[in-house]
Amino acid sequence: MNVNKLKEKSVFIISLLLTLIFIVWGVFFTDNLTKVTNSIYSGSIDYLGWVYIGTTFFFVIFSIYLLFSKYGHIRLGKATDRPDFNTASWLAMLFGAGMGIGIVYWSVAEPVTHYTTPPYGEGYTLEAADVAMKYTFFHWGLHPWAIYTVIGLALAICQYNKKLPAAISSVFYPILKDRIYGPIGKTIDILSVFATVFGIATSLGLGALQVTAGMHSIFGVPNTLIVQLIVIAVATVIFLISINTGLEKGIQYLSNAAMIISFAVLVLILIVGPTMMIIKFFFNTTGLYLNDFIQMSLRMTPFGNGEWIASWTLFYWAWWIAWAPFVGMFIARISRGRTVKQFVIGVLIVPTLGTCIWMSIFGGSALDIVISSENHELAKYIADNVSLAIFTFFDYLPLSTLLSIMGFALVAIYYVTVADTSTFVLGMLSEGGTLNPSNKIKMTWGIIQSAVAAVLLLSGGLTVLQTASIVVAFPFAIIMLFMCYSLLKALNSELVIQTRKKKVKDYS
Amino acid sequence: MKLFQLRKGQFVYYQNELHRVYSVKPMVKKSVHLMKLKDLSQHICSAAEVDKYQPKELDSFIFNKNVYTLSKYRKAEEGDFILITNPNPDYLDHYSLNEIEVVASVENKGVITNKYNGIRHNEYLLMVPGRDDNSNRIEYRDIQDIEESNIQDHSDVISDLLPTIGDVYRKNDTNAAIDAMVVAIQGNTIILGGGLELPHEELMNNEKWEFLYSLLDK
Repeated sequence: MNVNKLKEKSVFIISLLLTLIFIVWGVFFTDNLTKVTNSIYSGSIDYLGWVYIGTTFFFVIFSIYLLFSKYGHIRLGKATDRPDFNTASWLAMLFGAGMGIGIVYWSVAEPVTHYTTPPYGEGYTLEAADVAMKYTFFHWGLHPWAIYTVIGLALAICQYNKKLPAAISSVFYPILKDRIYGPIGKTIDILSVFATVFGIATSLGLGALQVTAGMHSIFGVPNTLIVQLIVIAVATVIFLISINTGLEKGIQYLSNAAMIISFAVLVLILIVGPTMMIIKFFFNTTGLYLNDFIQMSLRMTPFGNGEWIASWTLFYWAWWIAWAPFVGMFIARISRGRTVKQFVIGVLIVPTLGTCIWMSIFGGSALDIVISSENHELAKYIADNVSLAIFTFFDYLPLSTLLSIMGFALVAIYYVTVADTSTFVLGMLSEGGTLNPSNKIKMTWGIIQSAVAAVLLLSGGLTVLQTASIVVAFPFAIIMLFMCYSLLKALNSELVIQTRKKKVKDYS
Repeated sequence: MKLFQLRKGQFVYYQNELHRVYSVKPMVKKSVHLMKLKDLSQHICSAAEVDKYQPKELDSFIFNKNVYTLSKYRKAEEGDFILITNPNPDYLDHYSLNEIEVVASVENKGVITNKYNGIRHNEYLLMVPGRDDNSNRIEYRDIQDIEESNIQDHSDVISDLLPTIGDVYRKNDTNAAIDAMVVAIQGNTIILGGGLELPHEELMNNEKWEFLYSLLDK
């Protein structure tokens, strides 16, 4: 391979090497990895915590500012471009991309766990139930969607208005100019690939946990580490075949099916579950969420133990940030022809409402079952067996078998589609933003991301997954801060261009 | 009885002319929405009235009043039209069977179209302008039915998009830019709002006039 080709592939090679080092570390020095991640985990609470809290809160403020700013009417693309998709399917697609597997995994487990061990106050009380729902809204509400808004908007402006390749480094063109093709740009791309691999691996790890739990509760398969690793291996083989045989169309059908099944499950639970309670939960929690928004966003515990914040809030923020290049690419792709204002309403406000409704229906009914039966054992069981949570919850509803099977299908489909689509995005990011990544590179990433997920599960399951996200997403969080500045510069220059055109129009 | 499953994207003959199915609405009587390739006009019919045709290499047809021949051998270049005959869209792509797109840039493994789709080289046939001598003309199913003179007419028209009433254009080469809409067409003379009259060739010259949008598109 000559030097030029090596340079071209440097992003792919370096990020691959970094991940491989991590995998080797995890397989051969598992104890060491567990030890290191644990110490990083406790260190992250003290040292990285405020960075995550501060940056994500800033993204929310920044997105809301964009909504009301003078940039609102700027169109993503040419002034004559119109959206490719109607608004309903646009919203459905971006909601599915942004939440996917995680929302199924956590929607029951999170509120119930908070109910048993709330961030403050006594567990198993009615106040704890309010706090639990409030924090669930908080973790799944405006913050994640603000992160996606920033990155999606930046990518869209760069691709459609500035005609740059679909890579994260392109977003920095307004600051760095042609240096985005040099070492600085490459470093940004490497960090984004690295963060994305871990964000995806975390989701795949959670997915594998839940697929195994589903098989355990429906078919009685043992719920062990070996089975989880087998699930990862089987899924890897499935999407490797799909990449090579053009079965990708099948994957697209599957992902549409997942959207329909999730909606069906949602409506079904609303009907067979405690409907009035769900509605009350939705209104009450929305009020609490809005009222305590700023306090929750900036909450740290200077004198107390930061364990709770680290294992929930920080993990989520880091996970969303690690997940952001993947989701941002997708959202940018489907949003050509919309204006900045439409974009922010569609990516920040509407999906936040969507997740709040979802959480009220799943979390609300689960809490209702736990509280009205005063069954502390059940609550504790759910909190201790997080991956089984949704299936345990279905057992307490009418039509439980149907719900369990639908839930299992949903998780399995999400797992395969995420694994499959992420190989494409990783291929794209690591090949300088090409829309035609080669199959070899896609397959390499497919195997690597599964391996990372497996290693993380091997070295300690859920906690290690969470820690890995917190550590790896950190550099990318800083990159995203600069991205905001770059986005403002890009919007400013676009404002000049589009207003000039408009003036010309007004004149004639 | 014809038991032929019609799908979005297929090329079909309807009233002897080549059309593309752009939508199928299963619940209504006239369920098939067609676009006539010759002039991009829209038509509606039922599945029994059409016959399928699968385009292949060296087929030539009229698309938007221009003659093209499908080719595999010439490499695609920027600005070329392609016909996607073997669609295999990736995660971020949105295209389907027999869509016609314009190449925005060419890469090693495929092309990128101006709709930001990444299409591999084996997924499309290039539409080379003009009629190849060895080509198989497919714009009519039964070419005998068409008068010779009629065909002659069509092959003469090698122009770009013809202006229609409601198109808005912008003049490029003056300091005070002018936007104007086509309000009347009189043979070869195009009359724009504001009393501008000019020959069709001048309006079609991309350096002088830029097409902005059509009122009818909304």
